[in-house]
Formats: sequence, C-alpha cells, structure tokens
Amino acid sequence: MLSLRGLQRLKSVLTPHRNTSLRSLTVSSSLVQNKDNMLVQMENPYKEPQTGCVLCHVTVDYKNIQLLSQFISPHTGRIYGRHITGLCGRKQKEVSKAIKKAQAMGFMPVTHKHPQFMRDPNICSIKHLN
Amino acid sequence: MPRYELALILKTMQRPETAAALRRTVETLMERGAVVRNLENLGEKLLPYKISKHNQKHVTGAYFLLDFYSPPNIIIGLLDHLHRDVDVVRPTVLKKDEPGSAVGGSCCGP
Repeated sequence: MLSLRGLQRLKSVLTPHRNTSLRSLTVSSSLVQNKDNMLVQMENPYKEPQTGCVLCHVTVDYKNIQLLSQFISPHTGRIYGRHITGLCGRKQKEVSKAIKKAQAMGFMPVTHKHPQFMRDPNICSIKHLN
Repeated sequence: MPRYELALILKTMQRPETAAALRRTVETLMERGAVVRNLENLGEKLLPYKISKHNQKHVTGAYFLLDFYSPPNIIIGLLDHLHRDVDVVRPTVLKKDEPGSAVGGSCCGP
C-alpha cells in the first residue's frame, strides 16, 4: 500500500502536467486531472421548441371582424382578458385596439357578437354553459 | 406623402345616387390635393347598431374603403366636409402603416 502511494507520487512528478502547482503534486492525481467527471458547458438538450401565441404570424386588421369576434363574449360583447385569450402582450393590445376601432367606425357590434360568427371555433379558454 | 384610408359608410341609396355621392367625395379629395389610390366596395350591409345622423335613423349602409395619399393638413378640413354631407353616415380617416413594419421583428414565436 505504501509503495503504491509512493509510485503514484512519483508518477505525478515525472509525467508533465499543465498545472504544476504544489497542490496537484500532493493530492492524488486521479481526482483532479480526470476530464470526464468535469461539467461540460452546453445548451439544454431537452429544451422545448418555443411556441408563440395563436396570432403569432397573423396580421390583425380592424376590417377582419370575424377574427376579432373570436375574442369577445357572445353574450355581452366584452373583450376577453389575456388570461382567457392566451395571447402575448403585443397581440392582445393589437386585438383590443382593433376591436375598439372597428366598434367606433361602425364595422362591429358593441353589445353582442354578430350572429353570423356564433358558430366559429372557440380559441379562448372559456367554457359557456349552453 | 403619408398614406390614409377613408372608411366611408354611405346611406342606402339607389345606384346612381351612390355613384354621385362617391364622385363628390373623390372630387373633394382631389381638389384639396390628395391622390386617390384605390376605391373598394365592401357591399351594402346591415349596420352593427342603429346610427342616427342628420335627423335620420339608419339601419343599413353601404361600406366603401378609399385609399389615398395626401398632405396631413387637409385631413381636418376633409373630415369636417364629410360630416356635413347628408349622404354620409360615418366617415373615418385612418393612417395606413407600411406593411414592412407591421409584423416585423420577433413576435414571441419562431
């Protein structure tokens, strides 16, 4: 056992190392010099692809009242909040502004949803009773 | 010159009268130094709510979209003129953005 220790010490002195500090000579070499146990810096391999909101690549226009009507309540015509529509900040603002614009200009009804668009698919995470 | 869009709602009238009203509007624009680019007809539709204008209650309207280039100083005068026109139910002038800057940059998704 003692001779083995002595052999290890000799090996560390004789073979050339990059850091020839005193520390590496005294401590057993297998722990410090082994590169396989060290952490490798790399980006997360399990990262999920970044998903955007529903309107990510869609231009919002005040004339497109069918699209805008998907973000209002069918009973009262109120604009749904961000926690219901699931849109990102920018798109929520654009939709909100476009709805108010269309309502002011006489394109979209204010107090209700146009009956023609009642059967449109539900994007927002809200469940109506009937 | 900046680009504007006039969303015009005219009273429901017979075809020759609608044509005359549109002609009047376009000529007013051109007199004031605007360059009309495009005139679209969005059809005659039921208004989303009853609009009362010039002592009349309107239920249906003819929707038109007029693209034009104009200097910004004539817009107020133009809107004033359109509000006084008896055949016009609701005029709205909007600035038109260049399509390049509209959905530019990253919008939260790839």
